[in-house]
Amino acid sequence: MSSNLVYSKTMKIKICITAFFILIFTSCNIAETKNSNIFRMSISTEPPTLDWSLATDGVSFNVIASIMEGLTEFDEKLNPKPAIASKWDVSGDGKIYTFYLRKDVFWTDGKPVTAYDFEYSWKRLLNPQTAAEYAYFLYDILNAYEYNSGKIKDPELVGIKAISPGVLEVRLKKPIVYFPSITTFMVTFPQRKDIIEKYGDRWTEPENIITNGPFKLTKWRHEYQLILKANEKYYNGKPKVNTIKLFVVNERNTALTLYETGDLDMVSLPPEAIPSYREKSEYKNIPLLRGYYYGFNVHKKPFDDGRIRRGFAMAINKEELPRILNGGEIPTDSWISKDMLAHNPKIGVKFNPEEAKRILSNAGFPNGKGLPPITLIFNTDPVNSLIAENVQFQWKRNLNVEVKLDNQEWKVFLKRLKTDTPAVFRLGWGADYPDPDNFMTLFTTDSGNNNTGWSNKRYDELINMARGEGDREKRINMYDEAQRILLEEDIAIIPLFFTAQNVLIKPYVKGLRLDAMELLYLKKLKIERH
Amino acid sequence: MLLFIFKRFLWGIPVLLTVATLTFAIMHIVPGGPFDREKKLPPEIKANVEAKYHLDKPLHKQYILYLYGLIKGDLGPSYKYLGRDVRDIIKDTFPVSIQLGVLALFISIIIGIGTGVIAGIKSDTWWDRLTILFATTGISLPNFILGIILILLFSHFYKIFPPALWEGWRYMILPSITLGFAPAAYIARLTRSGVIDVMNKDYIRTARAKGLKYRSIVLKHVLKNSIMPVVTILAPLTAALVTGSFIVEYIFSIPGMGRFFVTAVTNRDYPLIMGVTLIYTVIIVLANVAVDILYTFLDPRVKLE
Repeated sequence: MSSNLVYSKTMKIKICITAFFILIFTSCNIAETKNSNIFRMSISTEPPTLDWSLATDGVSFNVIASIMEGLTEFDEKLNPKPAIASKWDVSGDGKIYTFYLRKDVFWTDGKPVTAYDFEYSWKRLLNPQTAAEYAYFLYDILNAYEYNSGKIKDPELVGIKAISPGVLEVRLKKPIVYFPSITTFMVTFPQRKDIIEKYGDRWTEPENIITNGPFKLTKWRHEYQLILKANEKYYNGKPKVNTIKLFVVNERNTALTLYETGDLDMVSLPPEAIPSYREKSEYKNIPLLRGYYYGFNVHKKPFDDGRIRRGFAMAINKEELPRILNGGEIPTDSWISKDMLAHNPKIGVKFNPEEAKRILSNAGFPNGKGLPPITLIFNTDPVNSLIAENVQFQWKRNLNVEVKLDNQEWKVFLKRLKTDTPAVFRLGWGADYPDPDNFMTLFTTDSGNNNTGWSNKRYDELINMARGEGDREKRINMYDEAQRILLEEDIAIIPLFFTAQNVLIKPYVKGLRLDAMELLYLKKLKIERH
Repeated sequence: MLLFIFKRFLWGIPVLLTVATLTFAIMHIVPGGPFDREKKLPPEIKANVEAKYHLDKPLHKQYILYLYGLIKGDLGPSYKYLGRDVRDIIKDTFPVSIQLGVLALFISIIIGIGTGVIAGIKSDTWWDRLTILFATTGISLPNFILGIILILLFSHFYKIFPPALWEGWRYMILPSITLGFAPAAYIARLTRSGVIDVMNKDYIRTARAKGLKYRSIVLKHVLKNSIMPVVTILAPLTAALVTGSFIVEYIFSIPGMGRFFVTAVTNRDYPLIMGVTLIYTVIIVLANVAVDILYTFLDPRVKLE
């Protein structure tokens, strides 16, 4: 009896172990069956929000760009082209833009998209209670700043008016030639007043959200996954791909493993993996409108002397940086990004170590002797460290100057920039809209993002004039002059390179568009038989 | 016993209050705020944002507001995940961490006690040395290295388990082993020492002299008396495992709560920092009470008063 009992217990254990392994080997994984018309990709974080009035980050914007559309969108060359607006007019003085909306654009609940939805959305963005960080995007509109900053309370005074369901009129304070580019940006997409008022903060949850783009949000498992389905009501026709699955994968090496195991169709490559994939057809390198620079505090010794700034700028061979970073970075001496109006690679201080040494010597520091201690400060990041170490080495090699390096946690670094700007520091800038104004306004006297303390009246004038200049050539000349002041005469910053995006895309994925704004366009996506 | 439990819970309230106060103070001392960005916000917009989250108020008022919300069960809105309450975030992620943590705890207890007992009763044999090797490796090997080794072995070379994500129980195996490996090693060492100690006691010699079966001696007398040190560490271990691990969740892309112990701090998401810290404290308090109760079952000399 007892031995039978023991036997049956042993048998049970054996059965359990066998069942365990059968389950392990037979359970299906997330790899969808072949040709399933599903596109799977990773996103680096949970989207902080899908409310396009509040979104500020690339992950949220990429999801929003798949489920929503605005008045205009970018073409392949990043010029604004009609989307929901079939056309637009500009008044003679350049201050009034009138957008004419298509009549065949519908929300996912079947209601038509109207100019009132745009008026509501834009005024909601500007409403101080919304506390939208990108509200300043519309500050060029009449009374927009005044309304957002609480100086006026009546939103009717703001220069945004739906004349009829199909016509939106926008009154600007002064002419802004790139205004249609701004209307490509997600924060200007229309919104449904009834939905937001009904659901409050929860209006972006899949069961509540109403959108108008090529895909609709059907599932959002926070911190893990979003599922988008093709929108059959999309005015440009239902997309060819039925389902998009976006997995939140924080660690890029994990995403790469999932790509290798066939669980993902597209991933962003970690920098250390780029050399291993560079020669493969799946590898894509997309230069971005994102500049990386070292800034000087022009009020701190020794960089309060323009000659020292020039010497240090001249002593960096930027060609060395892409070789150590391996990510397809484009070295630059000028600041306006490649593929942007007024990009001029001739502008900027060129690498010349002999001249750099001579300048330093003339400034009273022969062979780098006598300079006060210099510390280059950057935020903690392996890429930033690599760059800083290389520049430190170059300054030692070319100027015989010992520069200390100090890295700080991101928010501590930002606080330091604000309260005690270091003599030399690292920063970057990614385009919000592909116009030189977005890059050049950064260093005007009033700009909150100008951490250098540098100010130049002529520069400010040029940037202000160029914003409203309709003549393309004149505008380019203005930016050329401004760049020369910033980079050759006063040398407030040293541009180092423009960054690039490195991704792997499975060969059966077609029609995917990634642009220099780091945006992903999924509406023409197609999964071929594989 | 009920009175004891009630008293311990009452003691938990000042503990929570102290933790909340200290956390609140420390997170505001750390430089940098939740809305500091690479692209600096214009002052007017920053003012709007700060007004929305009451960050424009003096610190003591913010603290009172937070405590008032806490009493009502409101942990406040996240500053990073806009439109979501900390309560919702914890509600979404905590169950995942519990799932993973319980599995890791189960693995660590079974493997730890199992190997520890074998090593203890077979001390100075190759079993023992193997266990010591396992324990030393487990304690000294960082879990991100172990995780990567497991992914390489079981996902890359032998495609047995998925490398990441959270789609079903197969996805739990590698992360729970990764999470449970170090505690298992620690438990094994504690159990081994306990077993060696108990095996030399007089009552074990008596039991042997009485002719009791060896298996019965080990299971009924040795094991029960040698795992008291393991029970002692169970409270902090349970709290650490069920509240999630930043590294394991990060490597395996698990939608748990553990990541917020780090990301909430780097984002300066004050309400989320407070939320996860308080949850951790509550779990510690609960686990300590549970361990105290467990003591009374294992050792009749222990009385709950």
